[in-house]
Amino acid sequence: MISTGFYTFVTRELKRFLSLYNQTLVPGLLTTVLYIVVFGKSLGSRIGDIKGHSYMEFIIPGLAMMNAITNAYSNSASSLFQAKIMQFLDDILITPLSGLEISLGYIIGGAARGFINGILVLVMGLLLTDISLSHPFLIVVELLVVSWAFGAVGLLVGIFAKTFDNIQLLVNFFLTPLVFLGGIFYSIDMLPPLWRNISLFNPLYYMINGLRYAVLDIADTSPVVSFLVSVAAAVIFTLAGAILFSRGYRIKE
Amino acid sequence: MTPAVEIKGLYKRYAGGVEALKGIDLVVGQGEFFGLLGPNGAGKTTTIGVTTGLVRITEGSVRVMGYDVVSQFRQARQLIGLAAQELNFDWFFSLWDLMILQAGYYGVPAKIARKNAERLLEEFGLSAKRDVKVRALSGGMKRRFQIARSLVHEPQLVIMDEPTAGVDVELRHMLWDYLRRLNKEGRTIILTTHYIEEAELLCERVAIIDNGRIIADGSPAQLMAGIKRDGLSITVEGWSDQAAAGLDGYDYTFKDGRLQIKVVQPERRLADIVTRIAGTGAVVHDVTIDHASLEDVFIELTGRRMDD
Repeated sequence: MISTGFYTFVTRELKRFLSLYNQTLVPGLLTTVLYIVVFGKSLGSRIGDIKGHSYMEFIIPGLAMMNAITNAYSNSASSLFQAKIMQFLDDILITPLSGLEISLGYIIGGAARGFINGILVLVMGLLLTDISLSHPFLIVVELLVVSWAFGAVGLLVGIFAKTFDNIQLLVNFFLTPLVFLGGIFYSIDMLPPLWRNISLFNPLYYMINGLRYAVLDIADTSPVVSFLVSVAAAVIFTLAGAILFSRGYRIKE
Repeated sequence: MTPAVEIKGLYKRYAGGVEALKGIDLVVGQGEFFGLLGPNGAGKTTTIGVTTGLVRITEGSVRVMGYDVVSQFRQARQLIGLAAQELNFDWFFSLWDLMILQAGYYGVPAKIARKNAERLLEEFGLSAKRDVKVRALSGGMKRRFQIARSLVHEPQLVIMDEPTAGVDVELRHMLWDYLRRLNKEGRTIILTTHYIEEAELLCERVAIIDNGRIIADGSPAQLMAGIKRDGLSITVEGWSDQAAAGLDGYDYTFKDGRLQIKVVQPERRLADIVTRIAGTGAVVHDVTIDHASLEDVFIELTGRRMDD
């Protein structure tokens, strides 16, 4: 049964990013429009169709996943880090909430922001292109699981981070490269064999293709493998984050 | 009756090897107004941190109303309201939202949370500010809000960590009155302070902590009586051997026309002493009644002042 305390904390996390919608929801949409206009309209006509879809349609699931991942990560990482650095995390730590409940609260906040951002990009895609949603239920599940996973990554980084730069560092040197090399803008078939093989070690490649399958019914990977990779990431990062937080690592003295 | 707080053999060693607590044993009874007194860095805030779950225990145990703060943390923390020393708040929300959120974390139903929030904001003179964010408040208002919020879930054990640090006289008196009222209502109050007069005035029992150890524990009267600093200072003209003989049985010194007498309950012995001196022909010019303070207790025990 969900306790009132846990429900309240989750509500706090949701209210936090919803009240800052100018910073948490709008920028992702604007960036998506720019990607669609710049890449889709200007380059798309030169690239042509990929697996039966226009280039503009092809990149939309990847953009949705990119938005979901970066927003989920940023939300939980910055929410926890702000609470730590501004020292109001103590207000939560002295309550009867367990470390697991607090961890899950941060992850749910991140997952919700990631999911909403992903859905908004898909809605934008529906408005700007002719895509139809092939597997709606799978879209919801895939976006939720991946958002959850990166909400948990954000929690982990929020635990470890000592400065805001630490949070941005992971985005610049890890998330962004992996997202771009994960096949947002191209099919793996378009790569030379060496890069094709390297891409197989990128978990985001499976996540992006998982959503591409759910939206367009095309993918470079098996949808089952994509889903399993997403679930595995969610489980591993959630356990790691929750265990560290519950032990008070870099949280309690 | 189960103690409000029971601390046994508490050690705290921080990363880096600093030993903040070196084996504390302490019992605070239910309904007590208890003061934890000591200089900065003595271990007061660490003791509070361990009790409230903010600091991990190295060794020993802490129980709140019988609940272990580690293995039964939910039950223990439910009973505690903490107003921390530092004024740090969730900057995303208004005062009202913060009150409701804090009550919610403790499982208080929404209707009761709203009622308590309204009452406390009113009592602390913050009703007009309910929709603003904390950063818009003055320092004194932040302190008031912090205390109001710590009470929103109606805790049985109220812990105030230096609540009057840096506040003006008016607010200090308002807080003292409020804490007295809470105590009369049956709440256990633990007050940490390095203001001697605050502990003397409010607390029925005081523990003095220094360098991670409890060095004294008792009522302020007991502790002050223990060091035998009470007495009389009398300016005498015409001091003589006869006058000295008249004070046989008293512990006194006479220097530069000033007579210092150590005596318990000096008010009761004043008339007798003045009569004896005057009876020898000496003239008594002025009399000062000296009482020991908790500061004297601290000096007696440690050899230094609390604010050194």
